[in-house]
Amino acid sequence: MAAPTTTPPSQQGRGKHKATSSRSSRPPGAVREERAGWILTLPFLLLFLVFTAWPVVQSVFFSFTDIHNRDLRTPFAVNFVAFDQYTKAFADPQFQHAAFNTAYFVVVGVPLTMAIALAAAVVLNSGISKFRSVFRLGFYTPVITSIVAVAVVWRFLLNPESGLVNTVLAWVGIDGPNWLGSTTWAMPSLIAMATWRNFGTAMIIFLAGLQAVPIMLHEAAAIDGANAWQRFVNVTLPILRPTILFVSVTTAIGYLQFFEEPFVMTQGGPLDSTLSASMYTYQQFSFGNYGYAAALSYLIFVVIVIVTVVQFRFLSERED
Amino acid sequence: MRRSYLFIALTASTALALTGCGRDSGGSGGEAAPTTGAAVATEGVSGSLDVWAMGAEGEKLPDLVKEFTADHPDIKVNVTAVPWDSAHDKFVNSITAGTTPDVAMVGTTWMGEFAGMDALDPTPGTIDTSKFFEGGHNTTVVDGTSYGVPWYVETRMVYYRTDVLNDAGVEEVPTDQDAFKDMAASLQDTKDVKWGISLQPGQTGSWQTVLPFAWSRGASIADDNGWTFDTPEMVKAVDYYGSFFADKIADPNPPQGQTEADFVSGKVPMFVSGPWMRTIVEDFAKQNKGDDSFAERYDVAPIPSADGAESSSFIGGSNLAVFKNTESRDAAWTLVDWLTQPDTQVKWFELTTDLPSVQSAWEDPKLSSDEKLAKFGTALQTAQAPPSFSTWEQVAEAFDGEIEKVAKQGLSGADAMEATQSQAESIGTGQ
Amino acid sequence: MTRETSFRSRWWLYLLLTIALIVVITPFVWMVLGSVKTNAELRQVPPTWLPEHPTLDNYTSLFSRLSFGRYFFNSTLVAVVVTASNLIFCSMVGYALVMLNFRGKKVIFGLIIGTLMIPGVVTFVPLFVLVANLGLVDTLPGLFLPFLVAPFGVFLMRQFIMSLPRDLVEAARIDGAGELAIFGRVILPLLGPAMATLGILTFLGSWNNFLWPLVVAQTENTYTLPVALALVSTGQNQTEYGLLMAGATVVVLPVLIVFLLFQKRFIQGIATTGMK
Repeated sequence: MAAPTTTPPSQQGRGKHKATSSRSSRPPGAVREERAGWILTLPFLLLFLVFTAWPVVQSVFFSFTDIHNRDLRTPFAVNFVAFDQYTKAFADPQFQHAAFNTAYFVVVGVPLTMAIALAAAVVLNSGISKFRSVFRLGFYTPVITSIVAVAVVWRFLLNPESGLVNTVLAWVGIDGPNWLGSTTWAMPSLIAMATWRNFGTAMIIFLAGLQAVPIMLHEAAAIDGANAWQRFVNVTLPILRPTILFVSVTTAIGYLQFFEEPFVMTQGGPLDSTLSASMYTYQQFSFGNYGYAAALSYLIFVVIVIVTVVQFRFLSERED
Repeated sequence: MRRSYLFIALTASTALALTGCGRDSGGSGGEAAPTTGAAVATEGVSGSLDVWAMGAEGEKLPDLVKEFTADHPDIKVNVTAVPWDSAHDKFVNSITAGTTPDVAMVGTTWMGEFAGMDALDPTPGTIDTSKFFEGGHNTTVVDGTSYGVPWYVETRMVYYRTDVLNDAGVEEVPTDQDAFKDMAASLQDTKDVKWGISLQPGQTGSWQTVLPFAWSRGASIADDNGWTFDTPEMVKAVDYYGSFFADKIADPNPPQGQTEADFVSGKVPMFVSGPWMRTIVEDFAKQNKGDDSFAERYDVAPIPSADGAESSSFIGGSNLAVFKNTESRDAAWTLVDWLTQPDTQVKWFELTTDLPSVQSAWEDPKLSSDEKLAKFGTALQTAQAPPSFSTWEQVAEAFDGEIEKVAKQGLSGADAMEATQSQAESIGTGQ
Repeated sequence: MTRETSFRSRWWLYLLLTIALIVVITPFVWMVLGSVKTNAELRQVPPTWLPEHPTLDNYTSLFSRLSFGRYFFNSTLVAVVVTASNLIFCSMVGYALVMLNFRGKKVIFGLIIGTLMIPGVVTFVPLFVLVANLGLVDTLPGLFLPFLVAPFGVFLMRQFIMSLPRDLVEAARIDGAGELAIFGRVILPLLGPAMATLGILTFLGSWNNFLWPLVVAQTENTYTLPVALALVSTGQNQTEYGLLMAGATVVVLPVLIVFLLFQKRFIQGIATTGMK
């Protein structure tokens, strides 16, 4: 990792002095910080503006038009329809159904995934002393297993007649349901599958965050007579807060766009009970309804924004 | 954070303000009168061709093309194999950005869409289109103009276990739909049979099984004026299809990927599918049951008909199309023309088992000596395809969703087709 | 590391973890076993666990049907470039966002979080048109340029740097070190665990990326592994499961190796967190 430790090139200071002199209240070193801040963010900003911001601006524009894929070569020769695509989305019963399914998935799936990931990370970090890396690698394998292999295995675990799950249930006298064929059980099955697939990612991020928790604090708390649970709540959690916020936000963003599981397991069925908002949007894209699909995407975006703002409100630390 | 959204909103609205223009009337494709492409030269042509093909075709085509380049040393052909997954998106994006190949294998149901995007070159009059199966040629026609040729074809038939039917005392598969259903139900009285027939209970692609039953009783889903899902014939056809589930002859929740296993074990002794299933069921029997002679224990039959209509199945397969922005138009059509010569088609069949779209190729002993294959050949002569409207995929999705309600919730054919019709009308025909 | 816990008093934890481990790795094991089964056996109902007639046919046909070397090289190059640039740029931005005060900082963070929340599929087409206009279709830069920086990486780095003690930076400032030197000499060495995590996640994301390479790569010279695998494993009408499992196993190996290499960084990261 080569880190830029050289002094900044001279042309960087252009025009900065004028700007800073107008704000006399700034502490010394502010100019330096300003310059360093811009140098450090510049490469990122350039790439970001070209490859992320510009396509975003275009797609926002699409969502206010009736653009279809046959118009893409002449994107300006389309009708501006203001919010028509958005109002259409609100009235679309299939999208409403998909939105409800997505909400169900997120509300149950995100807390479940995070709780399991955090528990696994804490146990691996301080609960055990042997075979750590074996467990760490093992718990991460679902993330790197091809979704197709995953789908095949889960399908036969959940098979109503010969599946392992129902076989085990039969031992204790329960007649297991047709998991993927039932409108009641298909979504819980997918939530279980998504949790299983994704907790490994959250776990390794938590493990990295736990590295920042100094052992000295734990030892001091232990001398004060705090038990393991109290130490976790009073020492570990506060320091882990930025990491928890990060995992919570990114997991929610990922889950609000969940797509792969229903796509390979149920194709959104039975009877649209596992159709997700993202999957529906994706379908509209392949049908060529770009304007409508873009509008659906930005509706999902608005929901994600709201959910994220709420998470920042509750989990963020005060920035100084 | 809030400021950044403001920034995005501002830029977007500026972009909007700068583009105060709208759609020109009639600016999109599909308005032109039917045309035939200009004639192409096939002698002394040179050029370099990029060809895209999907799946097994993409893998095997380079071998076949070697023979073509031996005959046409001045034409260079570079074949790119494209995975089926998202191949559609790859084409659409390439059309948008103007990075299309010269020649490509195109799914039959994409023709309307790509022609609507003004991406395809009309078929030149120098190619004789009467040599193809009529249903195959029709898939290339969009709005009266043909944009390519059928390359290979397939169609759906009823697969059935001859031994199971014999045990149940069935002489032959009835050609009448009602008798066919009774026969399927009667099979369930024999011991190992759980379901009489495997039919897709809605969801993606189920139209490929439902429509053959509908066409074979004279129903149709579109005419010159648009969609006709809510006609009495269609309603009756859907009711008929749904009755298999209502009467517990077909499983409304079949586990995925078990068709061949259940067929070989005799649990479900009939299903409807295309020619590729022959190798799948025979290999399965050989490898899992050690059964080398399974081919003698099953056969195929045409889709049963009703109300005096002729049996008509769904014709699938793929077409070959030339893209408009090719720089070697003559060379491109020369290659397409060569790929649809009867002897090339027979060679291609040997390489891939793809069935020839050119009728005279079927006279070759390599095809005519196989009895089951010959039955597919007969079925192909009356097989048809859904209309080549660019919105077909989207309408099919709506149709499949309603069929699922019919199969799993017992929705009536009338309600299902009324719902499909209203969705289809709001989607339109894209023309 | 942690306080030494006695193995004996914690036996129940080990038991619990082991049961969880078995549940969790089952599909992975099944995938590897499936790669040495015949297609027919994979289609059997009910399925088999251990292969009845183990065969390496799937692997031989995989390597004979694909120019594996080429695709492997493309995948590796793209993943390495994307991972390295994300590690460098995202940690720089993360540091600036946490430890430095400069105007526009809040706007930049807002933009980053904002784009993180936009569903990816919506910008796909404009992005492709942009790359086509830049003449980068069917080139390796076209495969990696759009992914050199990811909002996800910046966000991860920012959150991680937030949990580092600020006194380290303040102390270095008092010693008269320049900002860039502080970042390079004081902060970077502490970023081990975060770098390892971001490295693993970015590498994995790039390695498994399918849709973008499929659309940008117009000829097989620029195909990456996932695209090539999709080529052999899915037909229009049936999937060759055996090939798919073999392919998936081959593709997973490099990721496992990367994971094991980066795992070590977790442990080193803690050793250098001196002053706490």
